[in-house]
Amino acid sequence: MIWKIAFRNLVKNGRRSVTTALAIGVGGLAALLLGGFVTSIWYGVQTSMIQDQGNLQIYRNGYLEFGAANPEDYTIPDWSAAIALIKADEALARDITVITPRIDLAGIAGNAATGNSKTFIGQGVVAADLDRMRQWDGWAIGQPGTPTGLPADPAADKVVVGLGMARMLGVCEALAVPDCKDAPDAGAGREADPAAAEYTDLVAGDAELAGLTEQGTGLPQLNLMAATTEGVPNIIRVEIAAARAQAVRALDNAFVMLPFDQARALVFDGSPEATAIMIQLTSPDRAEAVKTRIQGLLTDAGMDLSAYHFTEVDPTFTRIFGMFAFIFAVVSAVLALVIVFTIFNTVSMTVVERVKEIGTIRAMGFRRGFVGRLFLAESALTGLFGAALALAMGIGLSRMINAAGVQWTPPSNATPLTVQLMVLENPVFALSVALFLILIAVAAAIWPTFRASRLNIVESLQRG
Amino acid sequence: MNQHTEPANFEDRNIPLDTPHPLAAQFEAITKEYTLDKVKVRALGGISGAIVQGATTFITGPSGSGKSTFLNILGLVDRPTSGALSLFGEDVTRLSDAAAADFRSRNIGFIFQSFNLIPVLSLRENVEFPLLRHRMSARARRDRAAAYLEAVGLGGMMDRRPGEISGGQRQRVAVARALATEPRLIVADEPTANLDSRTSREIVALLARMQAEFDTTVVICTHETQLIPPQSPVIEIIDGRLA
Repeated sequence: MIWKIAFRNLVKNGRRSVTTALAIGVGGLAALLLGGFVTSIWYGVQTSMIQDQGNLQIYRNGYLEFGAANPEDYTIPDWSAAIALIKADEALARDITVITPRIDLAGIAGNAATGNSKTFIGQGVVAADLDRMRQWDGWAIGQPGTPTGLPADPAADKVVVGLGMARMLGVCEALAVPDCKDAPDAGAGREADPAAAEYTDLVAGDAELAGLTEQGTGLPQLNLMAATTEGVPNIIRVEIAAARAQAVRALDNAFVMLPFDQARALVFDGSPEATAIMIQLTSPDRAEAVKTRIQGLLTDAGMDLSAYHFTEVDPTFTRIFGMFAFIFAVVSAVLALVIVFTIFNTVSMTVVERVKEIGTIRAMGFRRGFVGRLFLAESALTGLFGAALALAMGIGLSRMINAAGVQWTPPSNATPLTVQLMVLENPVFALSVALFLILIAVAAAIWPTFRASRLNIVESLQRG
Repeated sequence: MNQHTEPANFEDRNIPLDTPHPLAAQFEAITKEYTLDKVKVRALGGISGAIVQGATTFITGPSGSGKSTFLNILGLVDRPTSGALSLFGEDVTRLSDAAAADFRSRNIGFIFQSFNLIPVLSLRENVEFPLLRHRMSARARRDRAAAYLEAVGLGGMMDRRPGEISGGQRQRVAVARALATEPRLIVADEPTANLDSRTSREIVALLARMQAEFDTTVVICTHETQLIPPQSPVIEIIDGRLA
């Protein structure tokens, strides 16, 4: 009967009920859309990072803390032994899709043809493995990664550089990269920066000493010079196969991705070392269990290695998601406040209009709690209608926005993504918002309801 | 409305405290004071008496005499400032809010001047409503509500809303609602004040018939003395005191 009275009173005060439900609905809609956006960031950014770095990474103990200063002291001594150990474990077989080594390196890159040179930050990867990793779409969000652009052969002498790097080396035109303007040529560069010219000459001279020759494929040539783990300068000559934008400008201006064997030849002089082992899993939900298992294997084998989740290695995801979660929380709090005031006002008006009814109900022998329940039920129903409106509008509008194909570039991405507001795709979140709206509608009605239940019966009955 | 022809004299119709009849209510030295605009007002100045069971007792007096205040105290929706009240032998003077509510739900039915039906409920649901406080199945509630609506002559319009019927019919519904819980006491505050004279007489007659049929005690507060049947017990209050 309480719900019947509540529903009929809502119908009786139709315009007010619709206005209140709309206020709740619009507030909920904003929360759903923003939440849908944050959800897509949560999945999208993680997908990008898993495609690029894997779910787990193995490093030599101490690398994350001290490796930046002395990378040669914190390399994985025998990456193939570690990978073989993990691959031999049957329990892990169904969880791991890709396991591949990576070498992080730095040095000087020089383009003898243009006379431009630049310090570089490099990654030596097994292109076939990384290309497979970039196909990962474990959450089925339809966000394929960009292929590396490297040949599958790990010993190939082709590299991919960042767009900024291509610009500075003056290879944009040669690579036919759109929206990429070459830096001034070597002659102009020499005049502007004698130190850069000195580096170019040094790299070119070393290349000549090393007996490197022009390859003659038509692709721009690049001399990469780095120090080996022994501290000896080493140099290789490669071709630039492509230029790909990187997420961070500083990295984009210095990035070189090269085949694993080339990187190994450059810094490890052929020894079986690597900086990291990247592991991509079938399901991100298994990351913690797999990490524990792998850590156990490594420890039991006496390897001085540790497994980390990618968020432990690179805090970018945690920071990005934290930022959006904070924005979502602030916006939700403001929306909740607006909803609270709306409901409070509506219930207060209803109570004022129904004082006589309250007095009658109390006179008939109903306790204060019953009066409270009567108005709370009405508020809960309003919240329910508002939540239903929010869900309907949220699903409809998100579909429309998703179909519109609006694009944006997340902080961790180099290329823009199509905006995907994941409302229906995250039913737990959508239902949580709906439940929150109902709860907030009930909570907002508590004080006016409490006051209604405390009304003096005689005074209530005397109201006109 | 009815017109007074001459002042009535009800002095000999008060029921003394020491009456040998079984009593529905006993009240002794009941006072009620309240503050209105910082001025203390004494609505009841100490009234004593009794109401016999199984009869219709009228409380009468001019406007502002304190009769409604007394009825509210009798119906346990208000408390006396001092004095003692017992209903059906139980001291109810200082019941807590919850205990008073429980007592009302079990023992007292109310009829109001302006009917006070719940507008969003049908007539049957209005009559059914107070039964929510009683341990009854939904079907039993519906059947009982239907039976009492039949008893007051509204069996054919149970599904109508209060807004769709006349004032007299609404008051009949209110009578059915008051009777539905089968209370031992029904208090009616000016039940005919909003009705024309013919309907007023019908309602009083209906209340008398229902009182006899269901053997309940009815207390009617009215300033329309011409509606008071001869021989009915009367409590006349003037300026907060028994006349």
